[in-house]
Amino acid sequence: MSWKQTRAAPFFVGYLNMVPKPLVVFLCVFAVCFVGGLGLAALALSSTQNDPGDGGFQWGNRFEQTGILELRPYPVFRVPADGDTPARTYMLAGQGKRGVFEQAEAYKAESISLRGVPVSRGDLTMIQVGKVEAASEDTTGFTPSAPVPLGRWKLTGEICDGKCYAGAMRPGRGLAHKACADLCLTGGIPPVFVSSGPVEGRNFFLMADREGNLLGDELDPLLALYIEVEGEIEQLDDLMVFKADLATARVLK
Amino acid sequence: MSVQYTPVIWNRNKILYDTVLLIAVALYLYVFIRIAPAFEDVTRPIDGAILRMRAFGSCAFLMLTVILCIGPLARLDRRFLPLLYNRRHFGVMTAGIAAVHANYVLGWYFNFSPTDKYVALLSSNTSYTQLLGFPFEAFGIAALLILFVLAATSHDFWLSFLGAPLWKALHMFIYAAYVFIVLHVALGALQGPGDPIFTAVVAASVVLVCGLHFATGRMEAGRDRGEETAKASLQDAGWVVAGEVGDIDDDCARVVTLDEGERVAIFKYDGKLSAVTNVCAHQNGPLGEGKVLWGCITCPWHGYQYNLADGRAPAPFTEKIATYRLKLIGATILLDPNALPPGTHVDPILIGAGA
Repeated sequence: MSWKQTRAAPFFVGYLNMVPKPLVVFLCVFAVCFVGGLGLAALALSSTQNDPGDGGFQWGNRFEQTGILELRPYPVFRVPADGDTPARTYMLAGQGKRGVFEQAEAYKAESISLRGVPVSRGDLTMIQVGKVEAASEDTTGFTPSAPVPLGRWKLTGEICDGKCYAGAMRPGRGLAHKACADLCLTGGIPPVFVSSGPVEGRNFFLMADREGNLLGDELDPLLALYIEVEGEIEQLDDLMVFKADLATARVLK
Repeated sequence: MSVQYTPVIWNRNKILYDTVLLIAVALYLYVFIRIAPAFEDVTRPIDGAILRMRAFGSCAFLMLTVILCIGPLARLDRRFLPLLYNRRHFGVMTAGIAAVHANYVLGWYFNFSPTDKYVALLSSNTSYTQLLGFPFEAFGIAALLILFVLAATSHDFWLSFLGAPLWKALHMFIYAAYVFIVLHVALGALQGPGDPIFTAVVAASVVLVCGLHFATGRMEAGRDRGEETAKASLQDAGWVVAGEVGDIDDDCARVVTLDEGERVAIFKYDGKLSAVTNVCAHQNGPLGEGKVLWGCITCPWHGYQYNLADGRAPAPFTEKIATYRLKLIGATILLDPNALPPGTHVDPILIGAGA
C-alpha cells in the first residue's frame, strides 16, 4: 500500500482566497449536510425527551389554611377536617432548597395560619411555605389524629427530594438529578420514597429512619437509585410515612 | 503564516468557515429550544433551564464529535483538509458552548440553596465508590477544564512559546476530554428513563470516532509497511532505496518511512529532487501531502512554507525543518537516512545527472 501526492489533486491553502473548484462543490455539500444534520439532530433529540409528568407549582391556587405544625420527623402541617373534606397532612418545604425546621420548632404544636404555594404531582402535595403566623381563628379543640400503623412492607422504588419530585423541577428525579436531590435534603427538604407499587392506593411516602428520626448522610448512596427496602408504614391522615430500615436496602439497578 | 501575533488573522476562508459553524450551532439551539418542544409528547413542559442545559450540552458533545472526526477524515480523504484549517475556532466555540451548559447546570441544580453553588457542585454528591450514582459532574468538570486550557492555548503564540511537540502533546488531551464527556453522559443523562434517540446518538458518536481513528491507523500502518524501502539487499553503504523518479509527480512528494518510523518527504520540482522531514514545524502537519507552490514546500494543513534546499521558511519567517541527502542511480532514488540539523542546506539532485 502506498500513497503519494499527485499534481492533479486539488490543493487547498487556507490563506489563499482561491479554493479549487472540485473542493468548492465538495465543501458546499458538506456544509449543507453539517448544518442540516445538526438541525435534524436537535429536532430528534429535543422532541423525544421523556415526559416529566404533571408536577409543578400551583401558582394560581395559593394555599392559606389554619392548622398545627408537627415534626414527624420532618415538618408537616396538620389541617382539621372541614365539612366533607377530611383532615389532611401536608409536607412542607421552604423557599429554594431549604426546609422549614425553624418555623416548625418555633410554632410546634401551636395553632397557626400558614400561607404558601402548593407544589403537586398527582396526589403528592408539598407546600412551599411563604408565611407562618399565629392563627387568628380559633382551632382549639383540634387534636391531630395519631399515626395509624400499616405494618411492615418491602417497597421498590426511588428516594427523591420531595419538592423537586413534586414538581419544583421538571424532571426532578433520576441520577441526573441526584446531586440536586442531595443538596435539597441537606437543606432540609423532606425525602420522599416513590414506590413502584401502591400501599393503600398511595405511591409517595414521607421518609424517616427505622426509629422515626431524621435521615442523614446514610441516604446518600441510595439516593436516586432504583432500590428495594423494608420498613414500617404509618398513615397520618392522607400522608404515608415510611420508616425505612436502610440496613435492608438493596440497589436493584 | 505571520511574523506577529494578532488575535485572529482573518481571511475569506476563515470567515466562511466560522459563518457556517455559527449558522449550524444557532440552528441547533433554536430548533432544540424553540421548535422541537412543540412536538414533544409531555404532560407539562420541561423546565426552560433544563431544556437549555440539554441543548447546549448535547450541542457541545456533537461539536466535539465532529472535531475529532475531522483529523482522520482528512487523512482518509484529503478533500476534508479544509475543515482542519480552521479547526481551532471550532474548538474554541465548543468550549464556549460547553461553558454555557455548565452555567445552566450551576444556576439551576446547584442554586437556590444556602450552600454556595460551587461548593455544592463539589460536595453534594460524593458517592465516588459506586458506579451507579457516581458523581458524573466530576467528569464534566474535568472535560470543561481541558477544553478551557486547549481553547486558551490554541493561539499560535502558545504554539511558539511551548514548541510544537509540547503544544501538540497538550492538545492531544482533547481525547481525554472526549472520554470524560462520554463518561459524564453515560453515568448521568443515559441513566435516566430510556431515551433511545439520545442513547443511539451517543453510541454512534463513539463508534464513529473510534472507527475513523482505527481505519486511519490501519491505513497509516499499511503505508508505512508499503514504503519501508530500506531493504538490506538494495542498500548501498547506508543509503536506502526510496523509489523511482517516475513515481513522483512534478511539484509533489513521495513519503518514505525509515526503519525507525521517521518519515521523509522527497519532492520533485523543476527537474530536481530534495528531501525534508515529513513533519511541519508548525503543528506536525504531513508536508509530504503538500505541494510545491512558488518554489516552496507548502503544508496541506495551514499553508506553512519551506525552501526546498535548506528546509527554512522564507524570510521573514523563522521556522526550519530537517533535511536529508539524496543521490540518484539511474532512475532510482537513494536516501541517506541520517537527518541533517534543521535548516541545513543540501544541494538538490538534478534529474538526469545520475550515474
